[in-house]
Amino acid sequence: MNIQEYISSGIVESYVLGLASNEERIEFEQLSETHAELRQAREAFEISLEQHALDNALAPSAGLKQKIWSDINLGQVTAPAVNIRPDNKTQPFAPVRSISFAKFLAAASIILLLGSTLLNFYFYNQYKSSAAQLNELIASNQQMASNSNIMQTKLQQYERSFEMIKDTNMAVVAMKGQAVAPQGLTTVYWNKQTKDVYLLINSLPQPAAGKQYQLWAIVDGVPVDAGLLETNAPVAFVKMKNIPKAQAFAITLENTGGNKTPTMPIYVVGKT
Amino acid sequence: MNNTVTYNEQELVLSLKAKDQQSFSYLYDNYAGALYSIVLQVVPDKELASDVLQEVFVNIWRKIESYDPTKGRLFTWMLNVARNLAIDMVRSKAYQNSQKNQSMPGSEYFDKGGLSTQLTVDNIGLKKIVNKLKTEHRILIDLAYFKGYTHEEIAEIESLPLGTVKTRIRSALIQLRDHLK
Repeated sequence: MNIQEYISSGIVESYVLGLASNEERIEFEQLSETHAELRQAREAFEISLEQHALDNALAPSAGLKQKIWSDINLGQVTAPAVNIRPDNKTQPFAPVRSISFAKFLAAASIILLLGSTLLNFYFYNQYKSSAAQLNELIASNQQMASNSNIMQTKLQQYERSFEMIKDTNMAVVAMKGQAVAPQGLTTVYWNKQTKDVYLLINSLPQPAAGKQYQLWAIVDGVPVDAGLLETNAPVAFVKMKNIPKAQAFAITLENTGGNKTPTMPIYVVGKT
Repeated sequence: MNNTVTYNEQELVLSLKAKDQQSFSYLYDNYAGALYSIVLQVVPDKELASDVLQEVFVNIWRKIESYDPTKGRLFTWMLNVARNLAIDMVRSKAYQNSQKNQSMPGSEYFDKGGLSTQLTVDNIGLKKIVNKLKTEHRILIDLAYFKGYTHEEIAEIESLPLGTVKTRIRSALIQLRDHLK
């Protein structure tokens, strides 16, 4: 078969316009597979036909697109004026629309419910973690407050110590280490008015178990008990017994609980 | 609706087959007018033609899977969908009855403008070209293309040999093609 003759026979136009018989159509499609020029001729006619149709287009009625969209359930494309118009033409569609609107509402409410549940869960978790954080903050605040109380107490102690040192009525008796404790050093602050005695341990050896340091006031050559030093006494001034009169102070190591008379040797001693 | 997106033919077909709403909207915006014109050439009543066009687009949407790009362009396929549905409408009993009621004997000779929704379609689209053809060609194309008769039916209607019908139609189509260029 001469393909050019075939192309110019009018079969191309007949095929494209849908006027070819079944046999002609099958033959055309088979020949198209093997002859590029036949496909090109077909396409050229199709394009000119399409161009002509586009050039001769007539605008369809404005509401038609809306109707088509309703038919294929794509939803509304433009303002849903058709929903409110009690027009006979829209009647057949009305139930369909109301069902789909009810479905839409149902779907929307389920989505809202799910959303709300998720939000509730989210906010509940937020609340729980906030509450936990608040408890932590309260605890840490209490800790700070108690630390602050401790600091306040310490500060007050230091302030009192400082006031004592500053006090012009205070006599200072430095007590030097003796043979058993050459590095030993303690200081007695003795208020001449109130006769109160405060002891500051600058340095003393750690007492053995069951032993305790005891302060003595030497009054007219006789040692008078001036108080026991607690093993774990604070570093600051320790208030001892009130001593009206003394020529010297001395410390000995005694059995726990103290002694009525000192046991030798003397650890530290100082004259007033 | 203004579509800023444009498609080449292949993209358009793929999107349509994927049931992409935007591409269908694009298709409508670009081709509804051309297809409406075709439908009107078969169904001159504006309201009925509008109903047919609605059916055409619903069919395009639902049957796009059956479109085979190797057999022709998308527009050719749509054009044939439109033509076939329009001819179906014209052949429906409802349409035939409505035409009988409207066309009293001799009414075609007067008061053509009286039927308000009836378009004078002789001057639109392909008909305009077909009307340039010789009468013997014009009548056959009108019967075959716009009324959808088979060659055999036309041979019977026109009392012509089947071979003559085929030859004249082919000859008319070649002239048609030359006018389209």
